[in-house]
Amino acid sequence: MDGIHDLGGRQGFGKVDVEEPEEAFHSDWEARAYGIVRAMTKAPGWTIDKFRFTREQIDPAVYLTRPYYDQWLQSYAALMVGSDVASVEEIASGHSISGPARLGSPPGPASVSAERKQALVMFERPGGAPAFSVKDKVRTKSHAHGGHTRLPSYIRGHIGEIAHVRGTFIFPDDSATGLERAEPLYTVAFKASDIWPGEGHAHLVLLDLWESYLDPA
Amino acid sequence: MSDDEHKSAGEVHHELHSHLPPEPGLRVKAMESLLIEKGMLDPDTVDAWVETYSEKIGPKCGARIVAKAWCDDAFKARLLENGTEAVKELDDAGWAVAHLKVIENTPDIHNMVVCTLCSCYPHAILGPPPNWYKMAAYRSRAVRDPRGVLDEFGMSLAEDIELLVWDSTSELRYLVLPERPEGTQGWDEERLASIVTRNSMIGTQRVLSPDEGAA
Repeated sequence: MDGIHDLGGRQGFGKVDVEEPEEAFHSDWEARAYGIVRAMTKAPGWTIDKFRFTREQIDPAVYLTRPYYDQWLQSYAALMVGSDVASVEEIASGHSISGPARLGSPPGPASVSAERKQALVMFERPGGAPAFSVKDKVRTKSHAHGGHTRLPSYIRGHIGEIAHVRGTFIFPDDSATGLERAEPLYTVAFKASDIWPGEGHAHLVLLDLWESYLDPA
Repeated sequence: MSDDEHKSAGEVHHELHSHLPPEPGLRVKAMESLLIEKGMLDPDTVDAWVETYSEKIGPKCGARIVAKAWCDDAFKARLLENGTEAVKELDDAGWAVAHLKVIENTPDIHNMVVCTLCSCYPHAILGPPPNWYKMAAYRSRAVRDPRGVLDEFGMSLAEDIELLVWDSTSELRYLVLPERPEGTQGWDEERLASIVTRNSMIGTQRVLSPDEGAA
């Protein structure tokens, strides 16, 4: 989806606020929102990719202006509505009208250390031989699709070089629709001078890209 | 099938946004009470996550990994080879980053990390990301004008240093291993860890100062 979230290379957003204090949370509600998202029951099918795709569909003006954890909560609220777990009315009032969701008991406090020790979710899967090797030249697809994708618009149609072959990983474009399929993943290096010629750049940009985003070049 | 299932996520967002109170704090309260009534949330678990991320997890965990790599060449080799496995040697400092890739700064190379599509970040090692990491200015410019961004962080990068910008588009999580500064010979790991900053592990700071370390 060519949405507002796809920010790489866009211009006009001004300077970076570098003076922010180095603390985990800047207010009580931020901490609470973070804790709720980590602690709440997730319904089947709410993969990280489905969550990301849901956030990408927030109104563009809201995406750029509402606080970050507020958008996390609104995205989970949208998932609840989409999965028929709650209505907009229930979310706005904070009270259940239709009764419990029946998704099993919510995780207890002991789940915090258990979850952390289990290395969360592993996204790597068994797979066949990758099509590309280190140093191969590849060209990214020039066009994406209306769903969730991790091929940013700024890199589409460009030639890069395989820097690392990473293994076989769950393919996000499918995972966002509830289908689990895995593909070889590569880290691909691109010259900034190829992406934005004439701007005097000398750096490299490296992206993790799945095999179906790439063609031989 | 309810009417809601026929709506796109964008339409649901629009409806939510117009029905929810504008103040984030009120939205959070409503969401928490609804999730409890729905049987989807234990408030004690929220407390436990907040406490963990406020007090236990944060840049200090990453700093311990960096300090150990500075002191122990064999650990550093294991860390660069397979970060996920290597950080398990540090007990609770390195829990739960499923696919960790550690990228090393050298006298000739500087690394910098961004997530242009959302805000992917090694939470379990560095804690929640700073706001600037999540905002449009950094996400848009880090790939296109990284030297300009580094200037704003007060760090002018010499032209002859190769700059690598890593856009976190997958579930791999990148951690920058900064260079050990001069003037820290003989320091133990704890003292070394005290000078490693969050920004140096994201790559928006390059030079660490021994003067900021706890004696």
